[in-house]
Order: sequence, then structure tokens, then C-alpha cells
Amino acid sequence: MGDLVIEGLVKHYGPVLAVDNVSLTVPAGKLVSLLGPSGCGKTTTLNCIAGLERPDAGVIRVAGTILTDASRRIFLPPERRRLGMVFQSYALWPHMTVFDNLAFGLRLQKVPRDEIHRRITEVLELVGLGGMERRYPYQLSGGQQQRVALARAVVSQPAVLLLDEPLSNLDAKVREQARFWLREFQQRLGITTVYVTHDQAEALAISDLVAVMSAGKVLQYGPPREIYERPATRFVADFIGATSFLDGTVSDRSDGLLRVRVGGEIELCVTHALARQPGEPVVLAVRAERITLAADGDTVNIVPGIKRSQVYLGSRYQSLVETPAGTLRVETAMELPDGKVRLKLPPEALVVLPPEEGS
Amino acid sequence: MTVTVEAARPVTRRSLDLPVQVALAAATVALVFFPLVPILVQAFSTRPLYDPVRAFTLSNFTRVLSSGAFWSVVGTTVAFAALTTVLAVTLGTVLAILIERTDLPARGLLNSLVILPFYVSPLVLAFAWAVIYGPQGYLTIWARQLIGHDPWNLYSIPGLAVVSMVYYVPYTYLYCTAALSLSDPQVEDAARIAGAGPLRAIRAVTLPLLRPAITYSALLTFVSALELLSIPLVLGTPAGIRVLASYLYILGIAGGRIDYGAIAAISVLTVAIVTALVWVQERLVSEERRFVTTGGRASRIRPMQLGSLRWLAFVFVMAYFTFAVLLPLSGIVAQSATAFLSPLINPLQVLTWENYRLILETEAYRRSIVNSLIIATLGGAIGILFMAFISLMSYRSEFPGRRALTYLALYPRAIPGIIVGIGFLWAFLLIPGLGAVRNTIWALMAAFIMRYIPLGFGAVSPAILRISPELDRAARVAGADWLGTTRRILLPLVRPALLSGYTLLVITFLKEYSSALFLFARGSEVIGTTMIELWRQGNSGPVAALASIQIVLTLIVLAASSALLRRR
Ligand SMILES: Nc1ncnc2c1ncn2[C@@H]1O[C@H](COP(=O)(O)OP(=O)(O)OP(=O)(O)O)[C@@H](O)[C@H]1O
Ligand SMILES: [Mg+2]
Repeated sequence: MGDLVIEGLVKHYGPVLAVDNVSLTVPAGKLVSLLGPSGCGKTTTLNCIAGLERPDAGVIRVAGTILTDASRRIFLPPERRRLGMVFQSYALWPHMTVFDNLAFGLRLQKVPRDEIHRRITEVLELVGLGGMERRYPYQLSGGQQQRVALARAVVSQPAVLLLDEPLSNLDAKVREQARFWLREFQQRLGITTVYVTHDQAEALAISDLVAVMSAGKVLQYGPPREIYERPATRFVADFIGATSFLDGTVSDRSDGLLRVRVGGEIELCVTHALARQPGEPVVLAVRAERITLAADGDTVNIVPGIKRSQVYLGSRYQSLVETPAGTLRVETAMELPDGKVRLKLPPEALVVLPPEEGS
Repeated sequence: MTVTVEAARPVTRRSLDLPVQVALAAATVALVFFPLVPILVQAFSTRPLYDPVRAFTLSNFTRVLSSGAFWSVVGTTVAFAALTTVLAVTLGTVLAILIERTDLPARGLLNSLVILPFYVSPLVLAFAWAVIYGPQGYLTIWARQLIGHDPWNLYSIPGLAVVSMVYYVPYTYLYCTAALSLSDPQVEDAARIAGAGPLRAIRAVTLPLLRPAITYSALLTFVSALELLSIPLVLGTPAGIRVLASYLYILGIAGGRIDYGAIAAISVLTVAIVTALVWVQERLVSEERRFVTTGGRASRIRPMQLGSLRWLAFVFVMAYFTFAVLLPLSGIVAQSATAFLSPLINPLQVLTWENYRLILETEAYRRSIVNSLIIATLGGAIGILFMAFISLMSYRSEFPGRRALTYLALYPRAIPGIIVGIGFLWAFLLIPGLGAVRNTIWALMAAFIMRYIPLGFGAVSPAILRISPELDRAARVAGADWLGTTRRILLPLVRPALLSGYTLLVITFLKEYSSALFLFARGSEVIGTTMIELWRQGNSGPVAALASIQIVLTLIVLAASSALLRRR
């Protein structure tokens, strides 16, 4: 089994540039998420991989086999790509039983009868739906339908599994369970998987690698931790987690610390991005849960402010605190005191981003 | 589960997708252009088509356009079509609002009654109205005795328009009903709560909601009425009223020397104007609104309370049905079974099977029934499959010419039936090797299918558009090609629509006559052409018998289809 490689993928719909020069390598056996807001081109990218859309430019390969090469006019139709795909609506064929839904592709591949039976039994067992062969899709719950769709996608042992927001039709509780289950399932099969979602928590939870997309472009591609802790652009930082941004100017660089002046008198130390020059304008991003209430003795990276409002999230409190540097979103386990507060923004929690980049 | 993978599936066999798609598209192109080309060529030729020494000319057009007869026909046609449209759209809208939106009693029943004329041939309707309201009609004589003179004149432009209105009311009714069932009845409730009476609420809220549907149906009715042959032919000819279609009929068949050039020029002009009107009509609607489906009405939440007007409205709808549909159709059945139908004679004393015997014992007449049945059942089946495939190609394939195909498939609406017949006839005469087909029912079947591609396309397309594209995409990814996906996934899913589309085609082919008039020959008569032949010979009894047979056949088809649809 080999990597799925996408190079320079471009797809227009009339004047709309849905996919803008996307290049990605999905390592064999890994799960890669395409994460981004609605309309950013995730589904279009996935459909190009599946052969359901014909890209205007770009190459798509799996383990050295070329599926699409626009410049050489190579385009393998979807039925010959040997992929498995789960659609947002599941797309179970309503006039066929679960068994027939699963057998459809196998029969087309001329798999012998008893082999079909064996494989379907096995895969249904695997998704926890043993014995449901004779049911019709409408006789299944949403979660069960989703698993049948997954079973159908993998039963013909595809080279790559494509999933387009497979959990978005489930209710919140089931969705969280399905997340774990799906991850385990994927790892057990060790199948190369591309997973489309607009839910950042979902992407971070189940992926080996996450590609954050916006307006047809991949903004950042890396492991979930890196995406979360070291966002490369303001858009990525904003899209993932509750983040506050502070405009500032580099004032000094020494002792392995970068000092950034934000909101007049306040100076914050940062432990990375040491290539920045004094005088350079920057934006500092900070995650809400990394901000704490300062202890009495603390003197470094302290920002005074006034609590404006607060919501209870179930296990934590989220507050908006107005400071001279700007409004900060703060998430804490304990309620912040009303009125004046002193907040600590730890140096390693601050991410330096280029200023005023379009989001 | 072990995972063994080769990256791409090997090519087990070549996919037939493209060859099949190309063949279907070619068949559509051929069918649609087949009748148009000879007409165009003829319109610009000095001599008849069969004459090898022809030259280019514009004289056919100048001759037609400078003829007073032509312009008077145009005037009559427009007046007739406009009056028909006003009447049919007004009544259709009123009926739709009453039946779809108010607490009228027995709305389900009234709904079926109002749609009924949709299934009746306008030719039969014309004969039927003549039986009751014609100068020698049953009610006319009865009224004449009562008040001393004829209270109405059916053989006049208003008379023709009223009969055509009955035929066209279902069009407006269906479009308005569809629009109403999509909109939220609570908007009317809101108007009532704000203090509006029922009529005021309808005027202020319901009618504006219906405006797109009304405009669309008005254009549809106007275009169809422009090309309508039957009612003007049967009821207008005795009074010398001529519309474009009956003028063409007389020029080409019933007249003396045939002026091919003039026929072709008039056809070209008519098709051009109708094309423009259809284009305007298309501009008014989005892709999906183009189609209206009968039946399957959404559940109404709470109908508008008419109060004391409720029973008055009910009586109004029932009276319309009784006098416009029930009485004429019963009249024609009664006439078919009597020697002479008149209020002056007890019909039971003149009962006879003579008319039916004549029809069933004369070989050519009997044959026309058999031919109609074969064309309807077999041609309908071929037709609906063909049309379903065109729709699937239009909406569910990557066929490069699919947009053009959609337009082409809908284009036959712009070609009046009688002109379809002329075009097919000339094409068959002109193209060597097709002579053998020309006198068979296959020629008629081809013409009927071509003429009704838009009907079948419209009947199956909404069902196809309603299927989530992910269902066929899933099949493609699972390894099926387009044909496999179509056969295994899409066609099974639209089976109910195929069945109701088939019913629609069977009924339409049973009643079709206008495209057959020029095309039929000895051996390929159909019910419609035989009725017109018998009518021209003045045999009103056998005409009534044949009309009754057609009505009964239609009812049988409708009953069988609804039984089948209900079973699933
Ligand atoms: N068939 C089409 N014709 C025209 N524009 C399209 C078509 N399909 C997608 N687009 C446009 O391309 C862009 C990307 O669409 P895409 O479906 O890939 O978004 P997405 O990231 O999957 O969004 P979502 O999360 O809402 O599913 C959008 O601007 C969309 O409007
Ligand atoms: Mg999408």
C-alpha cells in the first residue's frame, strides 16, 4: 500500500475557484482530515480524488498509479479507482437491503458468491451490525445507517477510504462515540483515509494529520497538536479553539525572549519567533484556556483588565475581559472574580503571527 | 480483515456508457430535426420537394404574408387563443384556490372531477359539446322550445373558446395547486387574524403568491390554443371560422391543389412565433418549476373557513363539472347508442347498436382502434424509456452535450402537432429507403414519440431530480459505470414515476390525432383520424361510438394505473 499524493490540484466552477492549487501527501495507513469552514472546497477536493469531479489542473496518485493527471489528460472514471467513500447523507440505496447495498460493488468485481457472503458477514460484524443483512435502510437508526455506509465503503477492500462529513447527521452524543469508534476502526484496518469535516474538535480528535483549508487553499498541514499549538496564520488560530488576538510591536529581542509591546504600557514575552526584528508589527494569538488568573507574586506577562461577561460551559467558565491591549477570551475552571482582574499570559502560550493577514 | 490492494481496478470490459449515450443523443437529434428540415427546405424552394429542379426563393413567404386570407386566419387564431386563455386561467385559478385552500366539502372528489378533461381528447370534447350545445344539440333544442330562439351559438369564436376553456382549465389548475401546496397556509391565517374576510385574504395574500404559476399557465395555454386543431375544426368549420391549424389542414388535405410552398412557409412562421413564446415561458421558471406533478398533494394544515359561502362554492364547482364535462360526455355516449338524440323523442325508443356494429364490422374502423392500442401501449413503453434515458443523461451524466440535449428534448413543444405530421410525411417521402415505413404505424409511433418527448421528460424528471446525487455517486465509486448505475440504482428508484409517465403517454397516444392527420395512410389509421374522416362524411352516430370507445379505453387505463400505483 502506498501514499495518496495530490499535486497542484485546481478546480473552477465557472468563475468560482473552488480548489486553488492544493498539494497534499496522505501517508499510507494514516488518517488525514480536511478541515475548514463551509464552502472552502473540502468536498470538491474529495470528489476530485474520487473521480466524481474532473480537476482543471493537478495530479492525483495512489501508490504510483496515476488516477488523474490533468496536463496529460489522464482521468480514471470513479468506478475504476478502487476507492471506498462514505457520503454525508450516507447514500444507502433505499431499494436494496443492507446485504445488497454491500454486495453491489463485490458483484461488479465478480467476487464469488460465498466469498461475498463471507466478507459481508465479517465486515458487518466489524461495525457491530451482525445479523442486520436483511434490513432495509429505512429500518435502521441514523447511527446504524452511518455504519452500514462505512461497511459498504470498506467491504471491497479499497486502496483509499474517503469520508465526507460522515458524522454530521448524528446527534451530539452519538457523534462523540462515533468519533472514537471510527478512529479505532480505521487504525484496525490500517487504511489510508481522507476525512472531511468542518468540526475542529472532530478533526483534532481523530486525525494523524490535519489540513486546514480556506477559500480553496491549504493554509496549514500538520499533526493536530502542531495545528493547535503553533497555528501558522491568524485564520487557523481563529478557526481552531477560542482564541484572542492582540496587536503589538516587537520592542526587544534578548536572552532567548522576544518582547512585544501591546496596548501602550504592557509588554509581553514570547519564547519563539525569535527572527522578528524590533519595530516589526505582529499579532499575538492566545488560547482562552491558556490564560490564568495571576498569583500575587507574578510579575511577568501580566495584563490587568475588567471582567465584562461570563458564560458557564458545563465544566468551565468562559469570560470576556477587557484590557488595555484588547478584549481577551478567558476559559477557567474557577469563576473569575467580578470587577478588576489580573491575568497571566504565559510566554510559551503566546503565538506570534504576521500582522493584518486576511482571514 | 486483511487488506490486499491493487491501486486501480483492472479494465475488465470496455464500458458501453459513451456509445449508448451518443446513440441516444443521436436518436433525439434525428427525431427532432427529422420533421423540421424538409419543412425548412420546402419553405425556401420554388417547387415541391419531390421535384428535383428546385431553386431558392423567398416568394413563399411573400405570397403568404401578402394574402388577406392568411391575416384574417391569424387574427381569428389570436382572438380565439386569447379568449380561451383568459377564460381557462381565470376559472383554473378560482378552482385551485377553492379546492386546495378552503373548507369546500368533498375536495378530493372535486379535485379528480376538475382534472378529468385533461384525459379526454379535445376532439371528443368538441363532438360532445356539439351533441348538447350545438345548433341541433339536446339542450339547444330544449331551450329553443322554451324561449323561442337559440340562447347561444356554439359555432362562434366565444363558443369555441368556452369549449377549449374546459380542456385547458386543468393546466392552470394543476400549476396553481402545485404552487399552493408548496406555500404555507398560515400566511392566509395571518391575514384573517389581521381582520381580512376570506375574499380579501385571497386577493391580498393568495393571488400574489400564485402570480408565477398563473403567468406560466397563461403562456402555456395561449401557446397550446394557438396550435389547437380539433375544437376549431369541428365547431368552427361549419361557421367558416378558420384558425392556423385548421387552415393548414384545409390547405394540405381538404383543399384542391396543394400549395406546398405556402404550407411550409406558414409552418415556419408558426414554429418561429411559438418558439419565441416558449422561450419567454422558459425564462419565467427555474429548472424545477418547469415540471408539475399530479397527485401526491401535501397535507393541508387548516383550510380557510368560507363560512356561509361554503355550499355556494360547492354548488358552483359541481355545476361547472355537470354542464361542462358530465353532460356533454354523457350526451355523446347516449348519442352513440341511439339512432337519434333529441329532447323530442324518448331515447329508450330509439336505442340501437348500429353505430357500434358499423365501427366494429368495418375493417378500417376496427383497425384504427387496434392501431391506437398498439401505438399507445407499445409506443408509450418505448417512449417513456427513451424519455427517461434522455432525462437521466440531461441531469445525471457527464455527457458533454447534456445541456444542449435538455433544450432539444424540450423543443418539440414549439412544433404544433399538425406541423409535426407534415414534417414527418415529407421526410418519409423524401428520404429514400424509408418508403416502407411510411405507411405503417411505426411512422405514427415515431411522430407521437417525438411530439411528446417533453411530456415524458417532464413526467420523470422531477422524480430523477429528487434522488440525491450521492446515491449514484456511491454506485460509481463502488465500481458501476453510468449504465450500471442507471439500470441498478436510478431506474428502480423512479419506477413509480415511470409508471405514471407511461400512463400519461398511453392516454396521450390514445387521443393523439393532429400529428397523425397528414401521416396516416390506409392501414395505419388511428381512432382520431377515423373520427375526423367519419365526421367529414357527416356520420355523427359512428363518431359518437368511436368517441365513447376512446373514453372507455382511457378510463380503463386510468383505473389500471391507479390500481397498480396503489399496490406498492
Ligand atoms: N457544482 C457546482 N457548481 C458551482 N459551484 C460549486 C459547485 N460545487 C461547489 N461549488 C462551489 O465551490 C466552492 C467549494 O464547494 P465545496 O462543496 O467543496 O465546499 P465544502 O468545503 O465541502 O463546504 P461544506 O462544508 O459546506 O460542505 C463553494 O464556493 C461552492 O459554492
Ligand atoms: Mg462539503
